[in-house]
Amino acid sequence: MPKIIFRLLLSFIAFVTLFVLIRQFVIPDSFGKYGHYRANSIDDNKARPLFYKGEKKCIECHQDIYDLQSADVHSEISCETCHPPIINATSDCKLNIPELKGTIEFCAQCHTKNAAREAIGFPNIDIEEHKGNKNCIECHNPHAPWELTE
Amino acid sequence: MGTNRINKDRRKFFQTSAALIGGTLAFSIIKPLELLAQSKNEVAKDEKTEQPLWGMGVDIEKCIGCGKCVEACKLENNVPREPFYFRTWIEQYTVKKDGDVKIESPNGGIGGLKQSVPDEDIFKSFMVPKLCNHCTDAPCVQACPVGATYISPDGVVLVDETYCIGCSYCIQACPYGARFMNPVTKVADKCTFCYHRISKGLEPACVEVCPTDARIFGNLRDKKSDLVAFMQKHPTEVLKRHLNTSPRVFYNGLSSEVR
Repeated sequence: MPKIIFRLLLSFIAFVTLFVLIRQFVIPDSFGKYGHYRANSIDDNKARPLFYKGEKKCIECHQDIYDLQSADVHSEISCETCHPPIINATSDCKLNIPELKGTIEFCAQCHTKNAAREAIGFPNIDIEEHKGNKNCIECHNPHAPWELTE
Repeated sequence: MGTNRINKDRRKFFQTSAALIGGTLAFSIIKPLELLAQSKNEVAKDEKTEQPLWGMGVDIEKCIGCGKCVEACKLENNVPREPFYFRTWIEQYTVKKDGDVKIESPNGGIGGLKQSVPDEDIFKSFMVPKLCNHCTDAPCVQACPVGATYISPDGVVLVDETYCIGCSYCIQACPYGARFMNPVTKVADKCTFCYHRISKGLEPACVEVCPTDARIFGNLRDKKSDLVAFMQKHPTEVLKRHLNTSPRVFYNGLSSEVR
């Protein structure tokens, strides 16, 4: 074998080895386990913090309100729909009390007049016409809307 | 090239370099082999336990456009508050009597959608909640040059935040406009079906808060799940069927006006 070919072969092998070696270190451990991606990323996605705790957690302390709510028209609504957790309140809800909202604007989010709501028979009203500047919760109990106070 | 012509030093050099190269080669071959063996075992295990296949049903006949899902999604997934970034949003379609279609989605529907067309001009009006369709043949996954977006074994299209290079190819590739560039993390962001929740047995945040149960989440492989029941009860349709992306978000009551 001529000397130059031998040297060429040697350097070729050296480069391939170097390539394989570097590739080994650059590619993350779990890459290609399930497909063309890093399998550990699935666990990263699972590990994100949780904010909404679910109705079951609320019932642990507020069984009475839950019973009242499930007897009326708002029974389908989850607690956290109206009482969303405070941002970053991943720990105890007693330390970070969820928001309480009782303004007209808040009720109007669902109940203000809209042709799309009309079409599916959802109770929607002209808020201005309905009761002027009176706050909704002055007459309606938000947990049981048809238990009117007046 | 005779061996007698090589002096001792050169011989020694070749011997050590050959040993070094051979050693590294052998080492590098062993590791991928291990991985191969491992992945085979892993797949066999998965088949035994029967992975779920997550999907969502959206009932347009129930959606009232209150925007609670959009709010909940932003809170649960730390989506920036600005009105350009949404993992899910609601569009109001208003078909006027003269045939024009008006599509609006101010701030994605947060705070409740308001009708801007006067009542007398409206032929019909409906709400369409939108999100990532978690396609079986996802264009975004094909477009990603580094493998940072992928379909998980349980059928959810996810983003690898540490691997994404922020090239935005996936954002352009998505025919549903469901992806955006997160201004905080500087990587592509999208709906994950709240992967951190569903893997713990909870429902996605938007499903949890929906006051009219317009969103149904479940396992498509479980014949007793709410989602399968919903799909059996209603004639469902997917968005942009002609693109053959085979989405796993199914709509009931989808009008032809919806784009």
